[in-house]
Amino acid sequence: MRYQLTRRAVLAVYAVLVIVPLVVVIFGSFKTSQELFASPFAPPTDWQSGNYQKVIGESGLGIAFRNSVIVTGLSVPLTLFIASLASYGIARTTGWKSALLFGFIVLGMAVPAQANMIPQYVQFETFGLTNSLFGLVLINIVTTLPIAVFIMTGFLKTLPKELFEAAAVDGSGPWRTYHSVVLPVSVPSLSATAIFLFVIHWNDLLYPLLFINEAEKRTIPVALLSFQGEFLTDYPLLFTGVVVASAPIVIAYVFLQRYFVAGITAGAVKG
Amino acid sequence: MSDQNSTLSRRRLLHGLGAVGLGGALSACVGPTITSRGSGSATGGAAAQVLPPVSDTPATGSVSFAHWRAEDKAVFDTLIASFVKANPKATVTQDISPSNDYQSTALQKIKGGTIGTAFVAFRGAQFVNMNKAGLYAGLGAQPFVDGYFAELIKAGQATSRAQMGLPYQLVFNMPIFNEDAFEAAGVGSVPTDWDGFLALCETLKSKGLTPIAWPGGEPANSGQLINSMAMNNMPTDTAFADIEAGTRKVTDDWFLAMLKQYQQLTPYFEANSTGTSSEPLQQLFASGKAGMLATGSFHIGAVRKLGAKFPIGLIAPITVAADKAKYEGIYNATFILGVNAAGTGQDAALKWVEFLSDPVNAAVYANGTSQHVTVKNVDYTNPDLKHNASWLAKKTLLAPRFQFTNLDIRAAVEAACVAVVGGTSPDQAAEKAQAVIDQKRK
Amino acid sequence: MSTTLTPASPPETPTLPTSEKPSGRSPMAAHPALWLFPVPALVLYVTFFVIPTIQGVVYSVTDWDGFSPTAQFVGLDNFITIFTNDDLFRNAFSNNIKFMLVVVVFQTIFSLVLAVFLTRNSKSSVALRSIFFFPTILSSVSVAFIWKFIYDPNFGLINTVLDAVGLDQFQSAFLGNDAQAIYWVAITQVWFHVGQMMIIYIAGLQQIPQELYESAQTDGASRWQQFRHITLPMVAPATAIVMAYTTVQSFKAFDLILGLGGNPPKSSLDILSTRIYSGFANSQFGYAAAESLVFMALIASITWIQRRAVKATNPDV
Repeated sequence: MRYQLTRRAVLAVYAVLVIVPLVVVIFGSFKTSQELFASPFAPPTDWQSGNYQKVIGESGLGIAFRNSVIVTGLSVPLTLFIASLASYGIARTTGWKSALLFGFIVLGMAVPAQANMIPQYVQFETFGLTNSLFGLVLINIVTTLPIAVFIMTGFLKTLPKELFEAAAVDGSGPWRTYHSVVLPVSVPSLSATAIFLFVIHWNDLLYPLLFINEAEKRTIPVALLSFQGEFLTDYPLLFTGVVVASAPIVIAYVFLQRYFVAGITAGAVKG
Repeated sequence: MSDQNSTLSRRRLLHGLGAVGLGGALSACVGPTITSRGSGSATGGAAAQVLPPVSDTPATGSVSFAHWRAEDKAVFDTLIASFVKANPKATVTQDISPSNDYQSTALQKIKGGTIGTAFVAFRGAQFVNMNKAGLYAGLGAQPFVDGYFAELIKAGQATSRAQMGLPYQLVFNMPIFNEDAFEAAGVGSVPTDWDGFLALCETLKSKGLTPIAWPGGEPANSGQLINSMAMNNMPTDTAFADIEAGTRKVTDDWFLAMLKQYQQLTPYFEANSTGTSSEPLQQLFASGKAGMLATGSFHIGAVRKLGAKFPIGLIAPITVAADKAKYEGIYNATFILGVNAAGTGQDAALKWVEFLSDPVNAAVYANGTSQHVTVKNVDYTNPDLKHNASWLAKKTLLAPRFQFTNLDIRAAVEAACVAVVGGTSPDQAAEKAQAVIDQKRK
Repeated sequence: MSTTLTPASPPETPTLPTSEKPSGRSPMAAHPALWLFPVPALVLYVTFFVIPTIQGVVYSVTDWDGFSPTAQFVGLDNFITIFTNDDLFRNAFSNNIKFMLVVVVFQTIFSLVLAVFLTRNSKSSVALRSIFFFPTILSSVSVAFIWKFIYDPNFGLINTVLDAVGLDQFQSAFLGNDAQAIYWVAITQVWFHVGQMMIIYIAGLQQIPQELYESAQTDGASRWQQFRHITLPMVAPATAIVMAYTTVQSFKAFDLILGLGGNPPKSSLDILSTRIYSGFANSQFGYAAAESLVFMALIASITWIQRRAVKATNPDV
């Protein structure tokens, strides 16, 4: 009995700790600063959409949103494609060369992005890849390749060999086997990895902060951070930005929850 | 790739490895040429370029104007509209970053020349670094430079005295105050000595006001107060530069005395001031609940937008006896306009700078943003500017915090003041800061 | 949701693929064209990841400012300064360690407690799991903004609530209190990621055979004894993963610090990654590159020590 009470109390308290701030944010996005400060928890007396108009229209978050869609929309499939090719090659070959190749790529997971930012910045600048959405796509692919290869190689190695052998007997070359056998059976692991990459690429702050010069090319997290300018530390406006910036991920979460949990957990477990 | 191709695979593999090698070769040319120690490095860059005088023909092409004043965007849009009217083949886009980000990233972002064909710099560390990096194309040959107050644009000169940039804003980095609140509290005149200032704070506090709203949680703005706290405490006007040069220390008596005065002010700041940023304080001040806002005149515009109707004055704490006070307040000449030496489009950018230098356009900027400018013959119609115009003639010191050219050192010095307010003893705070200064000094 | 809570493969420390057993070897497996598949990944990885890393080593022995065409070779001076004469680096390091310890301890404990309470796949448990998991999907900047408001000393949630219930003597400046600031950020980090770690624990807990608990119950073991002698040892592999991941994560808290503490953050919130970023802002590329290498070495050694510790206590992990 005491156990059940403790359990309920702990869960209830933690649920409050998670839900209350989120509710304050959503309510706050419809309030003025004065109202937010006066009664942070209460629902807005007058549901004004002014903050949303301001955030999407004037602040440039609309453009940032579009940029984020482009960058994430390209980064995720390209990373998946390149990583799944590599994983397939590694998973189907044997011997020390294969092991070395795998170890070499996966070693990249151990290097935190912040430790590499200065030389990467210099390099991208020299190649004219800074201040470009393409450069962001490229860096996204490069930095998440190791972990994507790690997750997918792990998955491909669990597949029964007979699957590939049957394809080989049918006369399929490696390429045909890749797209007609490997890709279809990999859908669950690809989806989970895709979600994992989606969250990382959509939320990435460091590289856009470093690489992007023009306000026109900012992605969502940088645009959001720049809200904190000297005079825009306006909480209702910040909260509106948070809601808009999170919307795609939240919607995806509601519908694809199982992949989120699988993907993000796989990222953690394997990372 | 079908089966037959497998025979080709080795060649393809070699191609693949070739691409890896190519990547390596490409990357080898990245970064600086490294010279051996003691060979005398070639820093200082190439001889600065000096732009020929601006031409009379209308500008063509696009100008990217990089700056940090998001709150001035609308006013600049108005100015851009009239610029484009006069120069129909030109466009100007604003590229705005928040001031903190601008301070830390603008140099790297602008040096490529794709953005910021016209740009600005903070006085101090940023201007020095940007100039060292060769970002400023010299403006010495431009006739419109004579339209500025010569004394006020010295901050835009290189060590060689060449005019590289033009400080545009003339701001007062000293506390602003609510005149109605002072009057209601029975404060007749602004105090002229330290005891008077403390008495003023006490009076305001007894009336239920927050005497001084100070954003101690926000490094960029909490440091503004050090200007007025130091102006009469400093043994020489260049004392902060001396600290960075190592000839003076923050453990010196005068600096410790100043830290003790911060300690005395602690009860008069808002509660938990070391964690507070400016935005809530602007709210507090605009709603009449604070006597002073210890940032600067550049916040008057924002406070007005929040609905403040009362007259706003400028006030600097005089930290010494009345007869020992050298200065009444602080000014700063900043927002140092320049034309980017890199990239193309200098002509249009120069035209834009010339346009901003015109007294009529400068007046539009000044009156629209409640900030004075360094341009001569400007007609100030904005009530706040008129109200505080007397400050243009007062004994003011060029804001000393921008004497620091190393941001780590400036941060350490200013953090010492915040630490004292947070309860650290002045000696301890000063020693900690001095340790950092000794390490970061070149 | 419950069906996917078990990760695709059992949680274990990653192992490199080794030569397969000869018996399982198919003649087709070593098709030469298979070696081409990793080439695109390899080209990108080497060009934009490996080479910059090497380049970083070159910068680290120079005084390069990031814009001059030349830089002077300074030998190991930068490293010597970092280790012997740089309070700011030391401060960032100690903040980082404090942050890591608090996050690792609290995140591990909280996520385990929540996981234990939510192990069963009842409707309410599944619903609560998805609520607790939710913060994980937000961006760090968003989380930073939410918590900036929570901690705001004047209008923030905590001080407002304390004031309303008459406990205003407990009000704090939070991030403005130099001695506490980094711990407040650590709490935010725990809130941010505890749900993710909880899911890893749930996966581990669900693999514990029910019979163990049943026989313990017949032996009269209390709930605490069951937890102590069955649950804890059985979830040790999950604990190893949670702690390793949390450690690395706590060194990557760059976004959260920048969002909460501004750019650049003040010294009470400075961690190693933000310190390196300040080098970028202050035009000290050579020095910052040296700091980066020290940072890399530090993470590598902490990871190594952790692996050793886990191996020593759980030979079967």
